[in-house]
Amino acid sequence: MKIVVASGKGGVGKSMLASALILLFSKEKKVVACDCDVDAPNLGLWLGITEYETKEKISTSEKAFIDKKKCIGCGKCIGVCNFRAIEKRNDEFKVNPFLCEGCEACKLVCPVNAIKIKPVKNGEIRVNKTKYNFPLISGKLYVGETGSGKIVEELKRKAEEFGYDVAIFDSPAGIGCPVIASVRGTDYAILVTEPTPSGFSDLKRILEIVNHFQIPYGIIINKWDINSKLSRKIEKWAKEKFLGKISYDKKVIDCIVNLKPITKSDSKVTSEINKIFDKLIDLLDKEKK
Amino acid sequence: MKIISSSGTKGGVGKSTFAILLAFKMLKQKKKVILCDCDVECPNDYLILKQKLKNSKPIYQEFPLLNEKKCKKCGLCSKVCREHAIFWVEKNYPKFILDLCTSCGACWISCPNNAIEKRKEIAGEFFVNKIKNNFWLVTGKSKAGISETGPIVKEVKKRAIELAKRIDADYLIIDTSPGAHCNVIQALLNSDKVYAVTEPTPLGAYDLRVILELTKKLNLPTEIVLNKADVGSRREIEKIARKFNSKISVEIPYSEELIKAYCTGNLEKMVNLI
Repeated sequence: MKIVVASGKGGVGKSMLASALILLFSKEKKVVACDCDVDAPNLGLWLGITEYETKEKISTSEKAFIDKKKCIGCGKCIGVCNFRAIEKRNDEFKVNPFLCEGCEACKLVCPVNAIKIKPVKNGEIRVNKTKYNFPLISGKLYVGETGSGKIVEELKRKAEEFGYDVAIFDSPAGIGCPVIASVRGTDYAILVTEPTPSGFSDLKRILEIVNHFQIPYGIIINKWDINSKLSRKIEKWAKEKFLGKISYDKKVIDCIVNLKPITKSDSKVTSEINKIFDKLIDLLDKEKK
Repeated sequence: MKIISSSGTKGGVGKSTFAILLAFKMLKQKKKVILCDCDVECPNDYLILKQKLKNSKPIYQEFPLLNEKKCKKCGLCSKVCREHAIFWVEKNYPKFILDLCTSCGACWISCPNNAIEKRKEIAGEFFVNKIKNNFWLVTGKSKAGISETGPIVKEVKKRAIELAKRIDADYLIIDTSPGAHCNVIQALLNSDKVYAVTEPTPLGAYDLRVILELTKKLNLPTEIVLNKADVGSRREIEKIARKFNSKISVEIPYSEELIKAYCTGNLEKMVNLI
């Protein structure tokens, strides 16, 4: 079973919650943890990992290169580039490597064959054995590179090599390319929000993606007590999809500062997550039937 | 006009809060300010400013549409598509999987029979709100399901810059999305100054390093905003600041009053925090 944890809004507690659920699942099931946030892979920190053992460089991106000698300056490539990655500077045509997606449109349109597409090493896949005896697979998009969604796909493929009962995918914030890659093909989505107007609005945004792929989901409100009025409103809005709520507790920050798993804390957050986990297990069992 | 960006790889560290506080601070100094919400996937500045998004203006992207009369079923389009968004079985028409399509155009350029037409579709929208005298908000919003949001950011920013020139604004403040990939890069380009917002936790430290590496590559001068400065441990943040030759120029203490102001759309009264 593949479960994705997503939220739209950043900083609402995806990785914290994902790490807790993985640890709870791992007591009885064979699990694989997947950090799909390749810009800011932080799930490892919640699982006590600061160093990555095996790194495998990958190339999921290509970029265009213009041969100055062959270029006749017709400008067709600029007009055709959907990513606005080609610029004319001092009569010279240049590819901005930070924007080029290597789609080849420019090469196809160039009348004098002045453009070549070359693969670039844009990231890496890392596999760690956690001290809890399950693997963490995470990816890293090299700073300034493109192709984050494809790295997510790559690391999801890697997860398949391990065999598992439950795989948890910790999605990045937003609803764009790497998020779509994280959500696509999962069996269940846990949507985390916080009771702020932004959190609620972003919950509705990520829900559009989850509904697009017709993935069953449940909703969790984190830090519910920073705004109990809006929290009640979201709870009511979520109806039967409401999985539970988690309090705001500074002890959660102590956990991450000391790299201690949230499940080992004496914070009330820990028992609240346990309760949510039990409800989730019931729900997933019903879902299977 | 100066372009100032509020960014930071980690989500929920206070990018939008800082961008809005900064806008109010400049307003107090009698400047003309435009705030541009470039987090087109999850735009929130309008909510924090208690605004409604009205008068939507479309942002288009082109997607492929097959003209079956012209198609010779050669399959070349499926071979050139690097996104694997075109599914083709021999002797059949190709099928476009729009979820994967980035509108790059490689298929219609390469089709030898001109059988792939361009279909204009709305990929996003933008809005302009006048908040008060000398203060405008430009908001971009991608259509849910659109995967490549970088081009939408570019378009929204272009509109904000046009507006800034028209009204002769002093500052354009860009609020970026979390992360560090193409949509953030597009938002940051051409900034005169970047504020990297972070928090004093190992998560904040890791993510700060990412954004500082990015702005270094993009050659953009960057200073650090430390939010919730009195929570957690700041030693690592200071170390990173030194390593990147940057400095912590703004500190915002943890404040329940600030959270309340954020939730109720009253950040203006918190302007003295920065």
